[in-house]
Amino acid sequence: MFERQDEEDVVERVIRELRQPVSIDRALDARVMSEIARPETGLVARRPLARAWPWLAAAAVLAAVALARPWSRGPRPDAFQFVLVAPQAASVALVGDFNDWDPARAPMHAARGGVWATMIPLAPGRYRYAFLVNGVEWRADPGAPTARDDDFGTPSSVVTVGGHGT
Amino acid sequence: MILTALLLVIAQNPAQDPRYERLDPETRARVVAIVDSARLAGLPSEPLIHRALEGALKNAGRERIVIAVHRLAADLGTARDALGTKATPPELEAGVAALRAGATPAVLTRIRDVRRPPVTMALAVLADLVASGVPADSAAAALLVLAPTARDADLVEFRHAVERDIALGAPPAAATSVQLDAASVKVDANARNARPGKP
Repeated sequence: MFERQDEEDVVERVIRELRQPVSIDRALDARVMSEIARPETGLVARRPLARAWPWLAAAAVLAAVALARPWSRGPRPDAFQFVLVAPQAASVALVGDFNDWDPARAPMHAARGGVWATMIPLAPGRYRYAFLVNGVEWRADPGAPTARDDDFGTPSSVVTVGGHGT
Repeated sequence: MILTALLLVIAQNPAQDPRYERLDPETRARVVAIVDSARLAGLPSEPLIHRALEGALKNAGRERIVIAVHRLAADLGTARDALGTKATPPELEAGVAALRAGATPAVLTRIRDVRRPPVTMALAVLADLVASGVPADSAAAALLVLAPTARDADLVEFRHAVERDIALGAPPAAATSVQLDAASVKVDANARNARPGKP
């Protein structure tokens, strides 16, 4: 066992040793830093990902919005069937406000008994239309209200698709 | 992308709308001028273009097409004045039909005031009833009674019932009155469960 004085001397020496600054080889320091900077270590490679995640999240949100296209969600169109009985007709087209009065866009299909029919989706609104038989003869829809505001002297009909409670 | 670019081009220069190619050059120029003027006035352009295309397909003469488009633009403006600037294009088109059927702008305004939007069906039924032979004032009075609480489906059913009675030989005004009583009872019953109209 040490005497008290000896013990104090030892403690003093240990404290002095511990207070000595530790000198690190500069070459070692450079090696460590270069090792950290190497992409293969993964230490640096993760940094761009960490920085990029807000952008990736924003891109994901944009992609989701683009796919959902909430701005294109107007009133949901309902499918309407249009029917004309014309046994002698060689062709019948449905033309109206809903297809820019273009006969090529809504040819009707003949079924048994001279029944011509087609089905098209219509968003809420009021549409004027008529049947064009054999490319020359205009006919109104006998099952629909007549359009009184006809400016061109040929029969037309109207269909109205409501906005609520229909 | 291509469709978007095309729409952008058309939006920037409406005269580039390929549908105008179905009009002869002089008709096209005059129709484009009317459509541009209407657009500047805040009116929808599609009904005007449709009317011109309808005329072209029906081989109407140039003057007839231009007059029809011009008249429609004026009527859309009257309907907009009656229904307000928040009226949608379908409401304005139905308003034009009601005006041409004989309803006054004041009737359009009253229907707008008592019914939750859209008022498209109410105005369309008014026009359709007149087309069936119902006097304009009778049709307007009936719609003003039903408009506050009736659903669109109720209005269509009312129109069908009136047309059926007329087809069976009833005088149009009497058919409207009888069916209005029946419809009012049904609408009141429905309104106890749900109130689509206002107030």
